[in-house]
Amino acid sequence: MLLAHGFGCDQGMWRHVWPAFAEDHRVITFDHVGHGGSDAGAYDPERHATLRGYAEDVLDIVRELDLRDLVFVGHSVSSMIGALAAAEEPDRFAHLVLVGPSPRYIDDEGYVGGFTREDIEGLLESMDSNYLGWAGAMAPVIMGNADRPELGEELAETFCRADPELARRFARATFLADNRADLARVRTPSLVLQCARDVIAPDAVGEYVHRALPGSRLVRLAATGHCPNLSAPQETVAAIRAYLAA
Amino acid sequence: MTADEDPLEASAEELYEDAPCGYLSTTMDGTIVRVNRTFETLSGHRREDLIGVARFQDLLAPGDRIYHDTHHLPMLHLRGAVREIAVEVMRPDGSRLPALVNSMVRRDREGAARAIGVSVFDATERRRYEQGLLEARRREHEVALELQRGLLTGAPPAAPGLEIGVAYKPGVSDLEAGGDWYDAFWLEEGAAVALVVGDVVGRGIGAAATMGQLRSAARALAAGRPEPGALIDALEGYSRRHAVGRMATLVYAELELDVGRLRFACAGHPPPVLVAPGAPARLLWEGRSTPLDARPSAPPRRDDVCTLPAGGAVVLYTDGLFERRTRPLDEGLARLVAEVEARRDAPAEELAHGLVRAMLPSGNADDVCALVARRRSAPEA
Repeated sequence: MLLAHGFGCDQGMWRHVWPAFAEDHRVITFDHVGHGGSDAGAYDPERHATLRGYAEDVLDIVRELDLRDLVFVGHSVSSMIGALAAAEEPDRFAHLVLVGPSPRYIDDEGYVGGFTREDIEGLLESMDSNYLGWAGAMAPVIMGNADRPELGEELAETFCRADPELARRFARATFLADNRADLARVRTPSLVLQCARDVIAPDAVGEYVHRALPGSRLVRLAATGHCPNLSAPQETVAAIRAYLAA
Repeated sequence: MTADEDPLEASAEELYEDAPCGYLSTTMDGTIVRVNRTFETLSGHRREDLIGVARFQDLLAPGDRIYHDTHHLPMLHLRGAVREIAVEVMRPDGSRLPALVNSMVRRDREGAARAIGVSVFDATERRRYEQGLLEARRREHEVALELQRGLLTGAPPAAPGLEIGVAYKPGVSDLEAGGDWYDAFWLEEGAAVALVVGDVVGRGIGAAATMGQLRSAARALAAGRPEPGALIDALEGYSRRHAVGRMATLVYAELELDVGRLRFACAGHPPPVLVAPGAPARLLWEGRSTPLDARPSAPPRRDDVCTLPAGGAVVLYTDGLFERRTRPLDEGLARLVAEVEARRDAPAEELAHGLVRAMLPSGNADDVCALVARRRSAPEA
């Protein structure tokens, strides 16, 4: 099982999920280039200008570790990255689990992605103006307790820490993407996990992905928001398990 | 006596309602369960329209909503508190309130996360100021690039026996662009050419201006045809006298076209790569000394001489070409030599650009520059 984090943070997003699969799967998590503990030197502006480059990275991991019969679990934008990778090398992928997928975030004729181009510009501005504030948010003086003290300092130090310029470009690659046409190329059986009240990947988009993906199942979670792997890890694990057992 | 009469006697409830910041309590998914009067005033929303209905993130501008769900919330889950997040709160009338937000997870006795406390500060003026600063920084970056570009224009010398190619890529990060320069000019038209690549400390407009001064000074000093070591000594004197370009590094080389005599000196700069027919490409480790004005006094600088045979090429470059934060330096240099080897017969322009492409698959934060001089056997007269 290969778990890929979405836009914004790093593999720490899976910390409440992956242990539940460690017993009966070989579990692999990683950081996309520019995020968490990745080597920013591996970033290639041309390759990583679109999600295809990130899909190539996934395939590099898959080939390097010679993974077969793979369950790919992708959160947010990584569900599309996984779909692109699986379309490229279907033989290696047994299942795709897509958590909050969206093939296109910007509205189009006859399609509601939930955002306008101006909204995405707003996100980039938000990232810019939070560049300094974010450092403040990372300051060691933190009130209250972390929800899992056993995580240790290392994760707390690096979590959500991204190279600002690369994160900005990842935001562009993510939110300006249109991968609707790629869905039809995917032959891998898939599970679409849709949260309630997800503003980033609204219900209609999950429905769209489900309809466009041949042989997919759509499961609606009670969890709200865009990050059930954090806010409702047990429900997320249970849904994936139930799907894999079926 | 009520608080209206004596503010010092205000109740906790009054202090909460009229606190100097907006305050919200939400469930873990952001659903608003309580807000204070200050938040109502700042945001223009009435509490009866919010409580139990709206989530905090629903009140944010769309871009901020994405940021909230992908950055703010995950961090809050991990750290229990997040400070100074810049957002815009959408008012019912369509206007926006620039705000700074601090959030904190509240737990029950068992330690389970139950609620999020959110304080909201009006940051209208501060954000305007920040926007101004960001804009100024962007402009400075552009001006620095413009200045650098302006200083570096002009076609390099060309002659039947000489071919010069340059690849130059300014850094994408506004923190690092602006300090690299290259130069190639005739010392004696058609017979001897000077080749220079340098790197000044610092960034932005200041670095670009410093680079321009050193570049001009080197040109002026070269007119007297000093040996490269002596030229750098003189340039160091200039740097000291005028307090400019301290710790700059450069490589200066003089190439005589008829016999291929290449005399060069490196002041704290990465060594040139020499590739000659019938011999493997190699680094020129000779003629080295420290960066400009690195020490109060130093012995005269060394230079060295070698032969650039016809058909051979020499590559001068800046450290951005091979330095990686995550890799040892000698590994980067070895790769560079291998990449030169792989293009040993390419035309100068192609070699320079090919090197930059091959060595920099990643986004170059720093400036990068490669200058290639290839000696061609002069055509039969």
